[in-house]
Amino acid sequence: MQPPDESQPLDDDLDQRPYGATATRGPLIVTVVGSVLGGIFAALSTSDFMQHLDRQVHAIHCSFIPGAGKELGESGCKAVMMSPYSSFFRESVWGGVPVSLWALATFAFLAYRAGLLLWRGKPSRAETTFLLAATALPMLMTVIYGFLSVAKVGETCKICVGIYLSSVLVFVGALIAHQKNTAPAEVSPSQGKFALWFGEGVGFVAVLTVTYLIATPTADLKTSLTGCGTLVSGDDPNAVMLPLPSGQGEPAIEVLDPLCPACKAFDERLAASSLRNRLELKAVLFPLDPTCNWMVTEALHPGACAVSEAMLCAGGLSNGPKDEKAAHDILKWAFKNQEKLRELAAKDEGALRSKLENTFPKVKGCLGGNQVKAKLTKSLRWAVANGIPVLTPQLFVGNSRMCDEDSDLGLEFTLSKMLSKQGRTARAQLKPPPKPAAAPVPSIAAVPKPAAAKPLAEPEPKNPDEEEVEP
Amino acid sequence: MNEQTQRWGLLAVAIVIPIILVSSWASAAGRRLKESSSAAKDVAIASVSDDSYCTPQLKAIIRRVAGACGLIEGGGGGRGCQPMEAQKVAALSGDDFNALFKPLTRRAHIIQFDSSKTELDPEAATTIEKAWSDQRGASFFFVVSRASTDGAADFNEALSRDRAKGVLTHLQGKFKDEDLKNQVGLLWLGEQYAQLGDEFCTWNRSRTTACTAMEINRSAFVAWIDCAI
Repeated sequence: MQPPDESQPLDDDLDQRPYGATATRGPLIVTVVGSVLGGIFAALSTSDFMQHLDRQVHAIHCSFIPGAGKELGESGCKAVMMSPYSSFFRESVWGGVPVSLWALATFAFLAYRAGLLLWRGKPSRAETTFLLAATALPMLMTVIYGFLSVAKVGETCKICVGIYLSSVLVFVGALIAHQKNTAPAEVSPSQGKFALWFGEGVGFVAVLTVTYLIATPTADLKTSLTGCGTLVSGDDPNAVMLPLPSGQGEPAIEVLDPLCPACKAFDERLAASSLRNRLELKAVLFPLDPTCNWMVTEALHPGACAVSEAMLCAGGLSNGPKDEKAAHDILKWAFKNQEKLRELAAKDEGALRSKLENTFPKVKGCLGGNQVKAKLTKSLRWAVANGIPVLTPQLFVGNSRMCDEDSDLGLEFTLSKMLSKQGRTARAQLKPPPKPAAAPVPSIAAVPKPAAAKPLAEPEPKNPDEEEVEP
Repeated sequence: MNEQTQRWGLLAVAIVIPIILVSSWASAAGRRLKESSSAAKDVAIASVSDDSYCTPQLKAIIRRVAGACGLIEGGGGGRGCQPMEAQKVAALSGDDFNALFKPLTRRAHIIQFDSSKTELDPEAATTIEKAWSDQRGASFFFVVSRASTDGAADFNEALSRDRAKGVLTHLQGKFKDEDLKNQVGLLWLGEQYAQLGDEFCTWNRSRTTACTAMEINRSAFVAWIDCAI
């Protein structure tokens, strides 16, 4: 079969009829401008996504003005970018392939197609039909992603809105161009032409995807399989762990602070991932609030101790089975109202405690009590006993700690690697670190034993490694 | 310019620009990743507390006392020391021994007893529970019991010991905590060593009644020690 040649007009007398050149010019300019604008927004979004491939935290653009509004803190753009909907193939590629890359490819293709028709100045009906069909793709994606953004992520991203508006612009331009195109309908438009143009579009997406896959930095396989460090012991002798909704798979521990925004975001990412069902997840509470946590000097998350106490109260302080639902209800509520709760606690922690008791009457009589305070201290001392870093969130799969840099965009990739057969084997070969050094207690052998008094227990046998102290 | 040239020219521009952008972003990310991998990561590790009052001298003394009193993790701690042993290990005068605990003004509680009694009243029980639940990052819970100089020395020594044991028994009953045996150290001082002066009446006490030098020594001094020794 002869490959189609685009230089050949669809109708034999195409070149002899100057149809539609003026009427379609304006709408085609709109389509080109929309494509370029959409391309710029998509490029900014891709750039923001790709800068995170260095596993660091970066400022990202969040403005309707292309290139403006770069900020480091929390924003709708960050929430959307970190959501599982921002990229595909996350379990195979670290971070996945960003959907904005495909948007960039699509807008580049549309700019090329619309630009070509504008330049040539005499589009055929088939060409404007194809352009209209091609611009329907970003329109369709706008509807889908607009819905996901509002309904699933709960945030809107200004850069994304820029892409949506550009999509509308190119579609409207293509629609008007097609409507105003007075060229006669081809009697039998070549299927080959459509296939060629479609192939070009697919080619744009494929070439950029391949470029991305080849050029992006690869993940360190060792840390992906085994993580960054291990627990001394994943045991829970003081029953401080609270079960979290998950599956019945590999035991995993999430060290979290109920008022920590990063923990909330991490929990959402984990919940959205199908991999959560392959974990049997438990939480260790580690509030970054000096009210109860001596390891922090600043109140990073005021009120976190009170909310943690409430979760422990709701879960039950005994060493028996925990009330998973009651504890998780408080966690969900705390995640949902984090900012307000932190503000309230910063002003008056007592007010937060009252709010907790009113919202969850089950914790009355327990919250603020000596038993729950002691339990929360045990939870913090679990962290000490395992010598883990003072930060939240942290995820331990089995006893292996997922690297911090893998806990956002790389979550699915790393978790799938850790849970793979290869990961299980690699993790099983890891040796736990030594117990954090205990205080060097001196020998008591040098101290003369008085004969009169009776000790409550036998003295310790002398340890030859212990420091000798002068009597 | 013919149509083929137009087409290929536009196509090349449209595809090459994104390719260059994506390649350069990926390359920059890769370069930064390499640099950050070689940089040392400075993250604090969870640890027990080591308060500013824990001077090297204080730590050395606490280490001696703690070692001699069996406060060894994993050992049979909480067995207590005898008056003479504590004095020898600390190698301090009574006043110097008491001075050790002065930085603990806000952490310590003084549990008061009736004359010749070892029973805890409800306020004493509540105060002990409050003190215990405020462990935070501390490693050792000291119970230093005393008796006033009323009565015979032998009787007071036994009284002091029973007061210390009373505190431990209450904690065991209330909290059923396995760590108790590794964290609670009992020192019963009798009447002949380290009697408290009436300046300790201003500390957190289990009783709000009037306080004299005699009454403040019918007591058990309880406190978590925030020193990583």
